[in-house]
Amino acid sequence: MVVTKPKGRKGEEMTDKKHMRGMKQGLDRRTFLAATGGVAAMSAFGMPHIARAADPVKVGLVHPVTGFIAYSGNQCRQGALMAIEDINNAGGIKSIGGAPLEALLGDSQGKPDIGAAETAKMVEAGATGIVAGYASSITLATTQEAAKTNTPHVVDVGVSDKIVSRGLKNTFRLGPGYGKIANYAVDNLDAINRAADSPAKTVMIIHEESAFGTGTAGLLEKRLPDRGFEVIEVIKHANPTRDFTNIALQIKAAKPDLIIPAQYYNEYVLLARTLRQQRVEAAGIYSVLGGAASSFKFVEEFPEAANYIMDCNHWYNPLSKEALRRKKAAEDKGLYYTYEVYLAYNAVAFLADAIERAGSLDKQAINDAMASSDWDAHAMPYGPTAMIDGQNEGGQPVNTQVLDGKIEVILPDEFATAKPVFPTPKG
Amino acid sequence: MRQLIILLAIFALIALTPLWLTSEFWLNAVLLTVYAALLGQAWNILAGFGGQFSFGHALFFGTGAYCVAVLQIQFGVNPWIGFVLGGLLGALVALAMGFLTFRYGLRGSYFALVTLAFAEVFRILSNSVSFTGAGEGILIPLDRQASQMQFTQLSSYFWLICAITLACFLTVWWLQNGRLGARMMAVRDNEEAAAAIGVNAMSVKLQAIALSGFFSGLAGVFYAQKFLYLDPSIAFGPAVSVESLLVAIVGGIGTLFGPLLGAAVLHIFAELVRHVIGDEPGLSMAVYGSILVIMVLFAPRGIAGIGRSVRSVLKGTGDAGR
Repeated sequence: MVVTKPKGRKGEEMTDKKHMRGMKQGLDRRTFLAATGGVAAMSAFGMPHIARAADPVKVGLVHPVTGFIAYSGNQCRQGALMAIEDINNAGGIKSIGGAPLEALLGDSQGKPDIGAAETAKMVEAGATGIVAGYASSITLATTQEAAKTNTPHVVDVGVSDKIVSRGLKNTFRLGPGYGKIANYAVDNLDAINRAADSPAKTVMIIHEESAFGTGTAGLLEKRLPDRGFEVIEVIKHANPTRDFTNIALQIKAAKPDLIIPAQYYNEYVLLARTLRQQRVEAAGIYSVLGGAASSFKFVEEFPEAANYIMDCNHWYNPLSKEALRRKKAAEDKGLYYTYEVYLAYNAVAFLADAIERAGSLDKQAINDAMASSDWDAHAMPYGPTAMIDGQNEGGQPVNTQVLDGKIEVILPDEFATAKPVFPTPKG
Repeated sequence: MRQLIILLAIFALIALTPLWLTSEFWLNAVLLTVYAALLGQAWNILAGFGGQFSFGHALFFGTGAYCVAVLQIQFGVNPWIGFVLGGLLGALVALAMGFLTFRYGLRGSYFALVTLAFAEVFRILSNSVSFTGAGEGILIPLDRQASQMQFTQLSSYFWLICAITLACFLTVWWLQNGRLGARMMAVRDNEEAAAAIGVNAMSVKLQAIALSGFFSGLAGVFYAQKFLYLDPSIAFGPAVSVESLLVAIVGGIGTLFGPLLGAAVLHIFAELVRHVIGDEPGLSMAVYGSILVIMVLFAPRGIAGIGRSVRSVLKGTGDAGR
């Protein structure tokens, strides 16, 4: 079950030696005796929640690494493992003797009940915290399962607002939920459209059928008319869908000014390619949480279909050196630096920071540390973390656009690397 | 009577599991096994005894699951009442579907395809109407009290599913030994011949599908109360239908213990395979699938059939090759 072996054995020894050198240089006899006496007393009376230096801190990673969303699940897993590797290379959890993180890997197979069972397995195997579960429906099950034992649970991707609105004290999410994303998307779409003399007046929404797509589409349908957009049709499709010809022809017949997809990666790619094949023309494609529009893989593999697509999605801070370092590290491992990778990376890093500050493996202490966290080493456009009922209020999406084969941030201005190109140039 | 004693003894042993099994994970695995046995036995009533192969048992499962969830969320009905109503509504939907299909004499693959279509229709409907939460799904609020059919202890869920499954197995035992079961098997073996000796095939098949729908509905209620979240794919998607028939086919169709054996092999074995193979994505499922293929090829009458074959060989009656 435990796949990644603790990386820190060698590193730990080095860290311990460094500590010892520091102690020899900086401690007087009295302080040394007091410290060793304290440690002896702790050993004698037992401190069950404080790990010994050699004990790895187990973190359960539950993702859909098989099934119809396996690509995203695997990306999440890789991102989380990257974080663990980085943390261990940096000396592990220093407040508990440099304990390394150890990943317990679980596969939800894309099913909530399996996700819950895997979470139970992780907790029983001694997981100090859980990072899960990519899809909203799975995350609803994993958070609830972890809540039974008050095990800290960090949500990596799941965007349903229901995840953090149930009053679970163990559940935290750094990224934004779809309510905030949809509002942000509508505001920015309006701004982009106005700046171009409002060429877009009609909209078609294409979304997948699960909680993420349906919830996002529902919010957009409600809010877009307030900004003067007419939603002429909302098309829902099943997961998986492998032929988008009919949907593309429906869009072609309706001739909307804007096409708004909210889908998982595979379906998004197929839709974008079919729109291209069917020569469907619109003023723009403006995705909200588009599974592929902000994906380097998509841009690299289908540059023509991707060009000029805009997206409102999770994205790293392109001006952050740390974000660029992580991106390079991911690419060096042969990974595309997709949102799954950096959101899962941050979920683990956030949990590790909380364990570090809690200074123990006590679950309540870690939950308290997350609730009061102001962690800002996420390399995201979030600012310092500010948790309210488990939701980071600073979490926000950005607008990106594919321009000349590159994904550029176009909004907000403080993180922008390019100006929006809208409407899409003809031809 | 011997089968009844064995059945009660097995369930007594299963019910004792929480008293000695300290691992919550393994207790949960046994719970899911018993739950799968319920799904399989419910399917077995219609297919194994009634002779009507269904590919759409998710229809009854989803009906029960949504019934308890919607009644709680929209109307504030206590889930224990929803539990009974979920089973009854599952039976009612089964009766309606049975009436529509049997009256036109649909059998075999035609009946199977129609059941699949019905489940798909319900999936799309639940995805479209607002009172089911549509595609966003429906979330039952956490309220861990026995009065709300939510338990703090896993063992309570365990004993609940044991009780429901035992009721289903006792029903099958009663069918095996009663007139209704005999009529069902007569219809299964030769509908025309059964009709010729005065069996009302339509009525018998309707009773079989109602019983099957009732227990599938109860399984749906249990799922809803255990996981507290439903969406159309979970409730009416093909996964539940496949699990229902797979458990019964692997264990042995038309037998009392087949679904229990099938569930045990599929679930416990799947976990063991994952433990042995490790976490390489999908590899354990490939091994699991291969072994299933081998089983279906070499033990077409299921695990229960292997037992029978062995007994026949030992007695020298010589039908082991069949």
